Amino acid sequence: MIEPIYRDAVIFASLLTLLSTGLSLTYMTTKVPNFAHGSFATVGFYVCLTASRLWVVNPYLSLPLGFVTGAIIGLILYASTIRPLMRRGANFVVLMIATLAFDLVILGVFNIYADYLARAHGITSRYFLLRSFDFRFADQPGLFLAAPVVMITEIILLHLALTRTRFGVAMRATVENPSLASVVGINVDLVYASSWLLAGGLAGVSGVLMSLWFMGNPDVGGSMLASIFAASVVGGLLSIYGAFLGGFLVGLVEVLGTSYLSGLIGAWIIPYRPLMPLMIMIITLFTMPEGLAAVDLARALRRLRT
Amino acid sequence: MALPGELTFVIDLLALYGVYLIVSLSLNLEFGFAGIPNFGKVLPVAAGAFAVGFLPGRLAAWMIGLGDVDYVKDNSPIVARVNEVLQNSIPMALFLLVVTLVAAAALGALLGFAASYPTRRLREDYLAMTLLAMGEALRVVGYNYAPLVGGTLGVQVPDPFAYVTGPLRFTVATLAILALSIIVFFYLESTVRSPLGRTLRALRDNEVAASSLGKDIVGLRLKVLLVGSAVAAIGGAIYAFYTGGVIAITYNRVDWTFLPWIIVMLGGAANNRGVSLGALVFVTVRKFIIFYKGGLAPYLPFDVVWLDMLLMGTVLILILLYKPEGIIPEQPIHTIGLARIEEVAEKRQRLKLDHGENSKQT
Repeated sequence: MIEPIYRDAVIFASLLTLLSTGLSLTYMTTKVPNFAHGSFATVGFYVCLTASRLWVVNPYLSLPLGFVTGAIIGLILYASTIRPLMRRGANFVVLMIATLAFDLVILGVFNIYADYLARAHGITSRYFLLRSFDFRFADQPGLFLAAPVVMITEIILLHLALTRTRFGVAMRATVENPSLASVVGINVDLVYASSWLLAGGLAGVSGVLMSLWFMGNPDVGGSMLASIFAASVVGGLLSIYGAFLGGFLVGLVEVLGTSYLSGLIGAWIIPYRPLMPLMIMIITLFTMPEGLAAVDLARALRRLRT
Repeated sequence: MALPGELTFVIDLLALYGVYLIVSLSLNLEFGFAGIPNFGKVLPVAAGAFAVGFLPGRLAAWMIGLGDVDYVKDNSPIVARVNEVLQNSIPMALFLLVVTLVAAAALGALLGFAASYPTRRLREDYLAMTLLAMGEALRVVGYNYAPLVGGTLGVQVPDPFAYVTGPLRFTVATLAILALSIIVFFYLESTVRSPLGRTLRALRDNEVAASSLGKDIVGLRLKVLLVGSAVAAIGGAIYAFYTGGVIAITYNRVDWTFLPWIIVMLGGAANNRGVSLGALVFVTVRKFIIFYKGGLAPYLPFDVVWLDMLLMGTVLILILLYKPEGIIPEQPIHTIGLARIEEVAEKRQRLKLDHGENSKQT
């Protein structure tokens, strides 16, 4: 028998990893922290709601649609706002404001869609739970199996794509030095666009799966923003592998840490869970501002031995 | 006597304008002049409002000798009792107002400092991320920790304008807010015209060059956030006094971080007059949207509030793309003219000569 809290932790950590990977990816390429990234995940929540309640199909069938919808929104943000601003030589502060503005726009769209679902089809579209649509596997919710599997698949695929394909190499080259990359004939703009596409798509997939476990609402993505940023900061923001690790660690610590503290101090601490990622972020910035990716393991071990 | 509806509308609009002017001007100091991306503006605003929810009620209850009472649980009777006393005591009302505003400013400054301290040496995007997360954090605390501002139910606060009874109360409160915003305007305007203001622009435009000239980048940034947060907290506090109550969920990212950003970008970053105009335009437009929302509702299959969100986001993106300098762009730095400098120099020269002759004589 597995304690429910470990199930919670594994599901959240796995799905947070998908989100932090996307955030780090767009940060590495276009150098802008995307404040709309949380809302990319909300897309998945509403795709899954529409699939399971309106079309009455297996929610897992909506995964491809979640990817595509998220990817399209990511691409729209890049093509409509980020690219024109970068062409005009806007600095990263302006780009950050732009992502914040875009977040507000899609938040408005989600709310309109939620109202539409509720009024036209009578579907509960706010504070909705879809747990009952999940399948059971060995007396466990299917997501307990699906979430880690999807995460591991994502890590392997992304690793292979970055190291084994021409496009992955081109992407890494662009991250290292965009102007040099364009000199050798890499289409930098295409690399940027595909990083936004991938980030949106991964977030969409994450959102679809999350909706099978967590309560959905138009602002659900925004409320996870601190966790996503904490995960990426712990991972060092400039490393995909750091983002994998950071996402999983922050997810585990956020859920298990809150539960541990509630046992230690009292249950009143549970509503303060949103402060957990903030604490993690601050501790990281104080102790290792470059994140886990920059920790020199060999040196740390040597220091421990002496 | 009751005021006509139009007048109430205008008075309410002006009060909101004053509050947003204070908050936007403080953001303009941080972002417009010093280039700090403060995405946690809601943090000091909420801090100011929470100070109002926490302090003056308890202070007044203690002053009039209510003894050991639970301010949050018996909120309504205590506030009613306090307001009764305040109606007849202008000095005490003024005392409460001033003490609370000072406390709010101090709390805002403290939080602004604490929020920016961990990232003070890192690139600004780390600062932006932490500030954004911090802004959410204070609301979580205010919402869940009932003794602070009543948690989910909120609290009523004593009315420092209670001695003006009837509908005139809102007029007086609005005048007080406007007076405060004018003071803030002149304070910040004189700050940015001073040598410090020029240093901040230098820091914004070229950090490396500024530090090579011996400017303490980290210290300046912390100082600016300290002042900006204190001013924003005063805005939040006076708003809470005006509305007469504090509830944590009001202090969200859209209303108190995003809106000031739109105002600054619309009016013109690094131009206080532009920001004043931007605040007027935006507060008026929003007020009219809320006012006419009922008329639009039957034609739409969704709540009109969301249209407001769509509109705000789109407007900001369009400003960034097509008019990044805002309605009134940044003006060249105001310096005193050459003639005036020569005049002063001459006067000093003369003084020195006079002084020299005097000392020779003695």
